[in-house]
Amino acid sequence: MSLSDLVLSLADNKQMLGLRYAEWATRAPSLEADIAAAAMGLDDLGHSRVLYGCLEPLGDDPRTQDRESSPASIRNLAYFDEPWTEWSQFVAANAVLDTAFTVVIEACVNGSVEVLRQRLRKMLMEERYHFLHGRSWLRSGIEPAPLLLAWQEALEFFGPPGSDVEGLSMGPEQMRARLEEQLETKAPDVVIHWNVWDPLRRRTAEGAIDEPTFAMLRGLEEKKYAPPTASPPARVR
Amino acid sequence: MSKSKNGYKRVSGDAVEYEVFARKARIDSLHLVGSVVAPDADLAMAYARATYDEERWCEMAIVRKKDVIRLWSPGEP
Repeated sequence: MSLSDLVLSLADNKQMLGLRYAEWATRAPSLEADIAAAAMGLDDLGHSRVLYGCLEPLGDDPRTQDRESSPASIRNLAYFDEPWTEWSQFVAANAVLDTAFTVVIEACVNGSVEVLRQRLRKMLMEERYHFLHGRSWLRSGIEPAPLLLAWQEALEFFGPPGSDVEGLSMGPEQMRARLEEQLETKAPDVVIHWNVWDPLRRRTAEGAIDEPTFAMLRGLEEKKYAPPTASPPARVR
Repeated sequence: MSKSKNGYKRVSGDAVEYEVFARKARIDSLHLVGSVVAPDADLAMAYARATYDEERWCEMAIVRKKDVIRLWSPGEP
């Protein structure tokens, strides 16, 4: 597992998190929460762009052509495979997974790789408000199932014990402790089958993002709405 | 109070209103830019930042509306 592989997975997850947040921009429980969902979605989509931009300076861009044809080539957690149907899923992702990604960003910012130390620092400031939002909604109480799943996938994202990535300031065990510290709670007891863990996608579950979302990522959904006879506008002299 | 299809009230019973103040430069005074409704200060900060972040503020602050002491209000002598 190289640092580039981890950064690509982080970028893909941030992109999916941003998209899933945005899907709730008109469905959250209050107008303020709608706006927060939209704003956090924009933040995370922006973060993914910055992270993708770090791949070339890292010198080892792991993106391959199959990202155009295979949804399973997108390295996101299973939590983002399908749109969320319940607000509890949003809150669990916001509180646990978004914070877990921030912990990894902290490990990059405090690590030894200069491009990550410089470019990712601003994300930590923006993520402070995601954390406040997620923690406050989490305290108001949510369904236990999505919360348990979010914790499990956060731990899977950190990786198996001892699988430290060179250049980061924290390994999986330290990241877990940091997440527990942030959320002021111990991680629940979850059984993770590390023998089937995919080190590129950082998950144990099979599957991939849904086809409409995959088509949207590639811009195919936009083409559906273009009239078949559409032509470029005439140039005005 | 209407409920969303998710079963959550759009504004919960314990939500309170916060006034949002901001300024663009150190030489400016803080001024009222709007308000948000939230059940606690953490969420109010997140909402204020999300809602009023379109400008490049150098400072933003929130205050519980009930904590603002008014000397007089519109229409009063």
